[in-house]
Amino acid sequence: MYKNKQYRPTDKMSDLIGENYTLLQVFSRFGLTLGFGDKTVQEVCEAKGVDCSTFLIVVNFLIEDSDRLQDHVEGLSVKALMDYLRRSHHYFLDFQLPSIRKKLIEAINCAHDAQLAFLIIKFYDAYVDEVRKHMEYEDQEVFTYVEKLIEGTSSELYHIEVYSKHHDKINEKLTELKNIIIKYYPSTDNNELLNSALFDIYTSEGDLASHNKIEDYLFVPAILELETEKRK
Amino acid sequence: MKSEGSIRIGVAENATMVRLGLSALLKRLPNLIVQVIELSTVEALKHCVKVQNIDILIVSPQFGGWFNVREFKHQYSTEDFKTLALITTMVPETELRNYDDTLTLFDDAESIAKKISTILNIEEEEEETQDTLSQREREIVAYIVKGFTNKEIADALFLSVHTIITHRRNIARKLQIHSAAGLTIYAIVNKIVELNEVKMNL
Repeated sequence: MYKNKQYRPTDKMSDLIGENYTLLQVFSRFGLTLGFGDKTVQEVCEAKGVDCSTFLIVVNFLIEDSDRLQDHVEGLSVKALMDYLRRSHHYFLDFQLPSIRKKLIEAINCAHDAQLAFLIIKFYDAYVDEVRKHMEYEDQEVFTYVEKLIEGTSSELYHIEVYSKHHDKINEKLTELKNIIIKYYPSTDNNELLNSALFDIYTSEGDLASHNKIEDYLFVPAILELETEKRK
Repeated sequence: MKSEGSIRIGVAENATMVRLGLSALLKRLPNLIVQVIELSTVEALKHCVKVQNIDILIVSPQFGGWFNVREFKHQYSTEDFKTLALITTMVPETELRNYDDTLTLFDDAESIAKKISTILNIEEEEEETQDTLSQREREIVAYIVKGFTNKEIADALFLSVHTIITHRRNIARKLQIHSAAGLTIYAIVNKIVELNEVKMNL
């Protein structure tokens, strides 16, 4: 899937995508669009007003599937990274999770038991709700705090370590949903749709996991560094 | 005592080859699910302990020049984690006393898994092959999804609340379902209850 290589500003953008198709999702979240001809990474970023080094840091972090917690990353713009995280939230909440819901409804509606379908959708909605709550908290509380921190107008009250420790919990609900579908859902003749929905759930789960990883391994350490700097 | 979910391990080692190698090995330990956090600087280590809940810190005694484990643990005494010394060269015996255990370059997956299980108090996986519910457990599932409290279930079945709680834990483990909403779907699919009996508070 991923080629294990670190990309540089002078590499061709089309190569980057060609070699790592899963980065397509990262693209849209940075506000980049396709059709970049033979332009380099740097040229494409400049044309779109995207912070090139932050873009590459995220891309390389994902490609490497890194487990490394970074203390200082040269060239990382907290603002640009935050912008990316915000767009990612938007992508999950307004595009990916709703589209899975649609598929799920389609898949289980043809099944015999409408009321059971209703229960499962309700369960899925509860999961999405939890994701939404978490992301909205980040958008409103955490990012606002960081913005103030950058401007130098932060009140000393909030510390980034307050946030962060609750990423694991959300996934529990999703695991249950998968278990119910895989182990306990009554089989029907037409399984293609349900399998496809389940496949999307898995993809989304992996996607959310790497999103959380960027927050935990790149974003939070950068904020900690910023906090120390500002409080000197 | 930890029984579910993944174990979070911080690996603090300056040498990239050793760090990456150990991380790769940790991810394929038998019977343990490990999430690795690689740490290459003292600064990163401090950040990690501050914001991540780690269960174990594997650290080279030479980390960042010289790693004073006693002082470090004292400094972060509110955080609950075990320490394993990663021995890559000669280290005075007295230094190792302050670690919970040691790892050497020649440890294999099996022995690492054993050490981790020991310091975290993880019980040997009892061969629980049976994961279908017993009759009593099915009964309890029915009560749960009808909205009964533990106390009410205990009274109805002439059992103690403690027993009900144990049953519930076993049910959650066997089915891998922890929420009442999830149990409800399970119960309906498996015809333990009828839909109209369910208390709808998903």
